[in-house]
Amino acid sequence: MSPLLKIDDLAVDFIAKGRITRVVEGVSFTVNAGEAVGLVGESGSGKSLTSLAVLRLIPEPPGLIARGRIEFEGVDLLQLPRDVMPEIRGSKISMIFQEPMSSLNPVMTIGDQVGEAIKLHRRMSRSDRLARVVELLQMVGIPDAEARMGAYPHQFSGGMRQRVMIAMALACEPRLLIADEPTTALDVTIQAQVLDVMNKVRQDTGTAVLLISHDLSVIAEVCDRVVVMYAGRVVETGPVATIFDAPAHPYTDGLLRSIVRPGHEERRLYQIPGSVPPAGSIKAGCPFQPRCPRKIDRCAVDMPPMFDHGAGHGAACWVTAPVRTTEMEVQ
Amino acid sequence: MAETLLRAEGLGKTFSSAGRLFGKSDPGVRAVDDVSFEIARGETLAVVGESGCGKSTLGRLLLRLIEPTSGTVHLDGVNVTELSRRDMRAVRANAQIIFQDPYGSLSPRRRVGEIVGEPFEVFEPSLNRTQRRDKVATLLEQVGLSSAIMDKFPRQFSGGQRQRIGIARAIALNPSFIVADEPVSALDVSVQAQIVNLLQDLQEERGFSYFFVAHDLAVVRHFADRVMVMYLGRVVEIGPKRAIYDTPHHPYTQALLSAAPQPDPHRKTQRIVLKGDVPSPRRIPPGCHFHTRCPLAQDICRVERPPLRSIGDAHQAACHFAVPNPIPLSS
Amino acid sequence: MSLAVPTVPVVRSPNFLQTLFTGNLAVTAAGVVIMIMVLVAIFAPFLAPMDPLTQSVFKINQYPSMEHWLGTDQFGRDVLSRLIFGSRNSLIVGLVSPVIAAVIGTILGVVAGYYGGIVDRLLTRLNDAMLSFPELLLAIMIASVLGGGFWNVVGVIAVAFIPGFARVARASTLSVVQEPYVEAAVAVGLSSPRIIIRHVLPNIAAPIMVLLTLWVASAIRLEASLSFLGLGTQPPAASWGNIIRDALSNIFGSPWPIIGAGLLITVVVLSFNVMGDALRDALDPETQS
Repeated sequence: MSPLLKIDDLAVDFIAKGRITRVVEGVSFTVNAGEAVGLVGESGSGKSLTSLAVLRLIPEPPGLIARGRIEFEGVDLLQLPRDVMPEIRGSKISMIFQEPMSSLNPVMTIGDQVGEAIKLHRRMSRSDRLARVVELLQMVGIPDAEARMGAYPHQFSGGMRQRVMIAMALACEPRLLIADEPTTALDVTIQAQVLDVMNKVRQDTGTAVLLISHDLSVIAEVCDRVVVMYAGRVVETGPVATIFDAPAHPYTDGLLRSIVRPGHEERRLYQIPGSVPPAGSIKAGCPFQPRCPRKIDRCAVDMPPMFDHGAGHGAACWVTAPVRTTEMEVQ
Repeated sequence: MAETLLRAEGLGKTFSSAGRLFGKSDPGVRAVDDVSFEIARGETLAVVGESGCGKSTLGRLLLRLIEPTSGTVHLDGVNVTELSRRDMRAVRANAQIIFQDPYGSLSPRRRVGEIVGEPFEVFEPSLNRTQRRDKVATLLEQVGLSSAIMDKFPRQFSGGQRQRIGIARAIALNPSFIVADEPVSALDVSVQAQIVNLLQDLQEERGFSYFFVAHDLAVVRHFADRVMVMYLGRVVEIGPKRAIYDTPHHPYTQALLSAAPQPDPHRKTQRIVLKGDVPSPRRIPPGCHFHTRCPLAQDICRVERPPLRSIGDAHQAACHFAVPNPIPLSS
Repeated sequence: MSLAVPTVPVVRSPNFLQTLFTGNLAVTAAGVVIMIMVLVAIFAPFLAPMDPLTQSVFKINQYPSMEHWLGTDQFGRDVLSRLIFGSRNSLIVGLVSPVIAAVIGTILGVVAGYYGGIVDRLLTRLNDAMLSFPELLLAIMIASVLGGGFWNVVGVIAVAFIPGFARVARASTLSVVQEPYVEAAVAVGLSSPRIIIRHVLPNIAAPIMVLLTLWVASAIRLEASLSFLGLGTQPPAASWGNIIRDALSNIFGSPWPIIGAGLLITVVVLSFNVMGDALRDALDPETQS
């Protein structure tokens, strides 16, 4: 089965004041139909830019997709004429953002906004459309949906607005839903509601989800597979259980050990030294090498390729690479 | 039981939008409502709750960065709520605050040395410039920074480094009490552990107490001695960390703990998902503030405020029907 | 998450002047113009070919010649020399009055914004009342009561500009006071005057400076307008405004003073405006790379 989304060797530059900064470099991963993939990373990891690149929403300039392919249903989105993209956005691929308030039009009713998303991409009678809006709002758990269609965004709380955003995103039954930090601005109990809605929607509709987050807990709750990014590169990828139980990249390992997990009893937390490097500041070798407790001489010189650890698990690290592959790489 | 350092009694704060010439009189927002607690010397009391629960306001009331509308705060036996502004300034040497925002909390046009040295200018004006710089250098090294950064500006540092600068400023005068207002929530995940460890190390060295405001339940579990849970301005449960996490009694505490996503993909326990949203602080429900979302709510909850009742060793909950077991899941 | 460019922490603080002038010819040109005009004003006695006040009935309304590069006016005075000396009055008024207004306006605005309450409400109402008058009208009203004369003109323009500075200072103060670093200063035990001097003023300086530059241009214009109306610099002393006024009666016979003074006012005002915009961009922390 060919994947629904296949990102291959993507590179994104930012140009500011005559200086070109490579902010995403050589990113490759896939999302299969119906699958939930988590894209996890800290500030400057390039996770949001990667997701924006899929919809070609990176502002150019200052951004520039320098290289790579983004295949969706076998078609390279980067080769499509620019005016075709709006047909794909919202209909086959849709996106929700962190800040649900600024993503909604304050002077349009909730019902009209969800309805508009349908109107853009589907031919439907008015009554059918209204029925579909109610159905969508019910699906995302908005109580009394029929009555609340006439409400305006400011009458909704943050959690409710994020549900409306999900309803809008799902209006045309997209094959892929990209969610960029969808619960980061929400409180814990509301976050739980929204995560439940996302899980339920995925079960009901079979929509694949690409979830971008800095929060490993959220990723663990929702995703089947994880892609870990650091300083613009993918450093590790694999099934969620493998990543959490047996991470093969020292960055993933350090990150997991530094957060408080169930059963944690030590007085001190494990800490990764140093700070996250600014985008594009690591010129040679592995981007994590300056902070890595296990680095060897080679790490500062050569960027490690993605080594296959079996069962869909890969890590870009010289030190943890399986022996046989390392030998092959050296030759 | 160790000696009491801080005692808050009946603390309350109502924000009113004063100064309007026309328009309806406004009952105001009751951000903190009759809150009492004690903190022992060297102890960490963590406050958790969702946005609008009043936890940050409460921290500022303790330091009189916001003036309370009712209640008293005793610090080291002194009633600080009745001090004049001038006398209050003298107390500030002993009671400090670490801010959430490592970017906003450092004046952008002042150098690191000036920022960290400012407390000495106020409280030890007899120091000359060299002596002050020596003290600042020592402080910077204690928080893990180089003393050579004194003449740089805050914008030249990462979030984690800035937070260290803020911590150096807070501990400059060796306070016995520190309000830590979400000190790690704005930082990159891989940097949070560094700051948590630093805060803990400093506490061990210097023996001060923390009032630790947080929404991250995992960090609180690692960091706190005792935990206080707030909902819409009131304390709903307070007790030793173990009691709160292992046998939460208040239905809100139970829901909050179960709603927090866990960094564990194998967890299959079902969450208690609360219905609805936190009511607006402008329209706080009568009786128990939580009754609109509580699965246990009875008639009495809509009318009568439940007092904090003792349910174990130093463990109290404000619920008419507090039970130690998690509430049954509603389908 | 916004579409913002990932922020790259600055490793070396950028040279302010570099930021100001980088890649912008207009800004460089404006800077040069302003510098030249200031030098001309300072060295007027050495630069002017003739005495600006010497009249001659034999040389009335002459066309430009080798002797009088820009011709002469209705009293036979050398136009070039009058323009050169006039730059002194125009620029001094243009620079001094906004500075006075900035100092007073900033003090009022900061006090109102920092302390709030009744002080704030009184000052704000007064300010609003003054702002509802066009500056020129306000200046004309005050000037016609006080009469003309150099220092009166400076005072009049300063008073007319105070509300604008006060408003910007108050608004900036209100936003700076919200910043956590001000709360941090309170928490450290600093007194209010110290907080204002240390933490508020440096952080509202940028918008005030921008406003100052823009209003130097307005002040030059306003001085010209007042002098044109006979309420500003008094003859025989020259300023660009009264040069135009004097020449107006004979605009077709001898347009040189008007063309010269008009061009100077336009170029200098434009230069200060360009400078103000550039300053705003350079001082904006968002655009500092």
